Parts: sequence; C-alpha cells; structure tokens
Amino acid sequence: MIFSFELAIFGSTISVLIIMFLLLYFYAQDYRKYLLEVNHEEILDRGQENAVLSNMKRELSFAAFFMDDSKSIGIRYIITSLLFFFIAGLAGIGMRISLWNPNPTFLTPIQYNVLLTEHGTLMLYGWATGSILGLGYYLLPSMLKIKKDKLGHLNSAMFWFYFIGGVLLIFSRSTASWYFYYPLTDQLTEAGGGTYSFAALAGVLLILTAANVASIVFLKMIFLDRDKSIRLSKLPLFAWSIVSTALLILSSAPVSMVADVMLIYDLINPIFFTGSNGTALGYAILFWFWGHPIVYVAVIPAFGLIYELLPKYANTKVYSYKSGVVGLLLLMILSGTVWGHHLFNSGLGTIWDLIFSTTSFLVAIPSAITVFNWIATLWTGKIRLTVPMLFILNAIVDFVIGGVTGVMQADVGINELIHGTYWVTAHFHFILLGMTTGMAFAAIYALFPTLSGGRRYNVAMAKAHFYLTALGTYVMTVPWALGGFQGMPRRVAGYFGIFQSYQDAAAIGGIILGIGQLVFLINLVYSSTKPISVSNENILESEVVYGE
Amino acid sequence: MNKRVQYELIWLIAVIAILALSALANYNYTVSSSKEIAQPYNGDPAGVVINVTGYQWGWQFQYPNGTITTDKLVLMANVTYTLIVTSKDVIHDLYIPQFGVQVYAVYDHTNEVSFTPLVPGTYIMECVEYCGEYHYEMRGEVVVL
Repeated sequence: MIFSFELAIFGSTISVLIIMFLLLYFYAQDYRKYLLEVNHEEILDRGQENAVLSNMKRELSFAAFFMDDSKSIGIRYIITSLLFFFIAGLAGIGMRISLWNPNPTFLTPIQYNVLLTEHGTLMLYGWATGSILGLGYYLLPSMLKIKKDKLGHLNSAMFWFYFIGGVLLIFSRSTASWYFYYPLTDQLTEAGGGTYSFAALAGVLLILTAANVASIVFLKMIFLDRDKSIRLSKLPLFAWSIVSTALLILSSAPVSMVADVMLIYDLINPIFFTGSNGTALGYAILFWFWGHPIVYVAVIPAFGLIYELLPKYANTKVYSYKSGVVGLLLLMILSGTVWGHHLFNSGLGTIWDLIFSTTSFLVAIPSAITVFNWIATLWTGKIRLTVPMLFILNAIVDFVIGGVTGVMQADVGINELIHGTYWVTAHFHFILLGMTTGMAFAAIYALFPTLSGGRRYNVAMAKAHFYLTALGTYVMTVPWALGGFQGMPRRVAGYFGIFQSYQDAAAIGGIILGIGQLVFLINLVYSSTKPISVSNENILESEVVYGE
Repeated sequence: MNKRVQYELIWLIAVIAILALSALANYNYTVSSSKEIAQPYNGDPAGVVINVTGYQWGWQFQYPNGTITTDKLVLMANVTYTLIVTSKDVIHDLYIPQFGVQVYAVYDHTNEVSFTPLVPGTYIMECVEYCGEYHYEMRGEVVVL
C-alpha cells in the first residue's frame, strides 16, 4: 500500500479515537481502585467488590465498564455504540467529500471502498445493534421490576465480544461492503475484498454472537424473570418490541453466521458457493435471510421507544395497546418472509419475484397500523415540544417518507429501475437516520439525567443538534432519491458527470449532519462537567398508561 | 362496536385497499412482461441474442455476427434483443436506467432479459452491484441507431 496523505488523516483519526478510548479505560481502572480504596495488588472478593461498586452513583463513569449488573452493561453498550457511530459517521462524511467531483480526488477508490465497508458494518452492527442491546439491558430490568439477573457475567463477557468485533471491523480494512458477497470477499487483495477481509467476518460473527446471547437473556428477563405483578397483557410496549426483535435475531442471525463461516471455509477449500454443487447466489440468499431482518431489528425497538416516550410528552395514553402489540409482532413475522426482494433481478424467476413482492407489500400493513396508532395518540394529546419530542415527531415523518419510498421498491417493475441506485440509499437513510438514530438520540436525551447521575443537558445545543440532524437528513437524502430515480448508482467512488449536482447537494447535507453530531458530542462532554442539579429519576421507569 | 375500534378498522381497510391495488398492478405487470424481468436462461431467447460477460472491471458484448465490443452496446431501434448475461469472476449487475433493464451477472450462472429500444440516441449503462476497486468505472454507453 502506497503511503498517502488522505489515508494518514483517516487512519490517525480512527487510531486516536481508539487510543483515547483505551486511555479512558486505563484511568477508569485507576478511578475504580481509588473508589474501592485498595492497592493494585490486593484481590477483592467478587461479592464484596460488587457491593462497593453498586453503592456508587450510576453516572457516566468508566468504572461502570467492569460491573456485572444489567444497568452498567447497558451503559457500556450505549457509550460504545456511540463511539462506533462517530467513527462510522466520520467515514460517511469522508465519502461525501470525496464524491464532490465526478472523478475521485480526495480519496483513492480503495480508500473509498474501505470507508464504504466501515460505514455500513459499523453503523448496522456497531451502532444500530449496539444501541438497541444497550437500551434493552438498561431499561428492561427496571421496567419489569427484576430483582436479580443471574447471567450478569455472561452478559458482561458478551459486551467484550461486541467491542472486539467492532474493533476488528475497523481495523480489517475490508473492502467487501457490508454484504460480503461470495467471490468478492474471498478475493484477498486490496482490489477485491480486502487483504484481511476474514477479520471483518470474524468481527461480524462476534457481534452476532453477542446479539444472540442478549436476545436469549431479554426473552428470559421478559417471560421468566419479570415481577409477578406485571401480567403479560400489561407488559410495556417497549418489552413487546424487544420480544419481537429478539425472536427476529434468534431466527435469522444464525443463518448469516453459518454463511460467514462457510465463506471463511471457502477461502481454504472452496466447496460451498462454487463448483458443481454450489452457486455464488447461494451466499446472497443466506445473507439476505438475515440482511433484511436486521433492518427490522434496527427499527422495531425504536417503535417501542416511541410508544413509551410519546404518551409522556403528549400528556395522554397510547391510543390502542392491543393494535400496538399486534403491529409489533406482525412486523416480526412478516419481515422474515420478504428477504427475496433484494434479489429480484438476480434471476429468481417470475414466481419467486411475485411471492416476495407480495409479502413486501404485506409488511406495510403492520407499519401502517403502528404509525396510525402514534398519530391517533398525538391527536388525542396535548403536545409538549421538548427535545426528545422533536426527535420523535421527526422520526415519525421520516419513517412515513422512508416507508412510502420503500414500499414502491416492492413493485417488480419499479425495482428494475431503482435497484442498486441511490434511491435505495435514500430510502434506508430516511429510516435508519430518522427513526433508528433519531430515537436513540431521543432516548439518550430523555435518560440523560439518569445516565449522568442528575445532570441536565444544554437545551440550546440539543435543539441545534436536532435541527441540524433533521435538516442534514433531508438535504442529503432528497437529492439521492431524485438522482437515484434517474439511475445514479450507489457504492461508487466516482460517477457520470450528469449526476454531479445531486452528489454536491448530498455532500452539503452530509456536512450539515456532521456538524450536528459534533454539537451533540460537545453537549455530552459539556453537560457531564456541570454540577448535579436534578433528580436522577428514570422517566422511562414510571408507568405508561395504555388505552385499550 | 367501540368508536376507537371503528377508527382503527377504517384505517386498516384503507391501507389494505391501497396495497391490494398496488399488488394487483404488480402482479399484472410481472405476469404480462415476464420476458422483460431478469430470469435464468431457459434456452428460448426472443429476437436478436447478445452474449454479455461482466468481468473486473468492464462489460463485453458479443453480437450474433461475432463482433465483440467492450463497455459499449450498439443496438437498432424497434428491434427486440435478448441479453444473455454471465460473469467471469464476481457478481455484477448490468443496469441501463433509461430502458429499465437490470440483470445480475453471476459466475457459473446465466440470466436472460429481453427489451426493445424505441428511441434512437445515446444512453448510459452501469454496473450496480459492488464488485471491487474499480466498480465505479465499470460503466459505458448504449447507442441506439
């Protein structure tokens, strides 16, 4: 690899972030030992140690990184997923800047492809999955009044699986994109799938293991460990959304893990996806069996969070509890059957195309039930425009736009026009940016007093963060959708000159988005240094009143 | 019946009606123009056959008279063509936006797709399945005479 200025900039930024993180860990160790008032050599009894640690205030302290209780594991996941979010976001902005001109100038094609893969894998596996697992670990025990989680050590170990997996994704410099399609991933060259592409596959495997274990633990918490006073018919809707997510992960992630292992095996002895008894499309099918459900894994918990937060800021009760539960569970069942719509043009044949496009139309029904339920809740309520509420309203609007642009793609004829173009990128960025990321921000703002031990975030900065994020999303994704409909291809380091105006507008949107996240980061740091001024009560612990 | 449940039923039926219409239109299109949708090659091509091979990083077109062009597809207006598409290495995806033609090129697997260009002119053609370093340069032009 020839030394280049751009690579040096990006490599050093990412390394600095990692080193900062490790340094914080180092100081956290020291801080913890200081709190325990013991020497480095002295060994504490585990129970004694936990007793001391649980007396500490649950603030954004890194001492929490070594505890076994569910709350501290949740905080660990949330903070680590934020770290991955910033690294992946940086990669995204690098790509936007590089696409300013039709021919790559800022980044070489290989660097662009490294950032492309990093952005995709880290955003989905690091940020979306990580933040969801974090919120699940953080919120479920208190919502369900669980006395003790006996699997704490396992969960703590699984967090490290997740963390190491994310680090492997960053440092593998894979250029296989987050699909890891078969012949490309096994071309271990810079020009193909990246020299160390298998390290990225190992990273994905580690993260999916953590997600699987977490799903089992969530199901155990909800169905076995919850306090007997909470009947199944009164389960919070966030818990229902986690049930839906956990079942979706358990039913489809193992398929992708098997496919990833087959890919690694094929490096040495190619038998699975090539030759007389295999086809390259075999991997694509195994991958999309998980690749589609993961996007529902990313949005369903966000639906649950909206159900929890919306009634609090609209001073009302959820319009219909029953249709909320039906919507969440139906979404889980139907989303497992639609994965073929990613492969309409690969030669599945007309019959399969028809089956998958029809199921893809069906999946819009539970989504619509859910959205109408929120609208009805807003209709009957009195809205307070707090920062989390702004994010919720934006999430609903973005989800409607993303959903409508999504259901259009279910049509086989339209799919021929827009498959593989920026239209698709626009569609899922509306949902993943507006809904998944927006709701994670809403939850972080709503929980900030609890997470930081009684501190308040700076409202002006939080509002600036919201408006920049919302504006950036539209400025970036609307040109994508328009250009995509005219055939602007995605995942390219350069493009035909006719698409330059769309790409330039999207680059401006991406920079606005980046500035917004910078404001968020500054706000987090700034507010954490403020004195304690409010009670650290968790607003998501108080009960939500549901309708019928 | 409860007023709330009534409202819920109203929006549920409205959504199902819209989706049913879309699904019906989709069914109609898919069945009536199945030749224009990519499908595995079944040995019965319509019209003029052009063999297409995708490779890292370019497209090769072989016409019935044996002529071979690279990254440039030359067609006649109002003639029906069938592209028979395969790949030498990784998965590619041939995409001609203005014609709504899209077909995967897969190693050891042959797909076909038919279309009839109507208006003479020059159009663009791209690979839209990510295929490595110079994926973005795997593009060319379609000339309709």
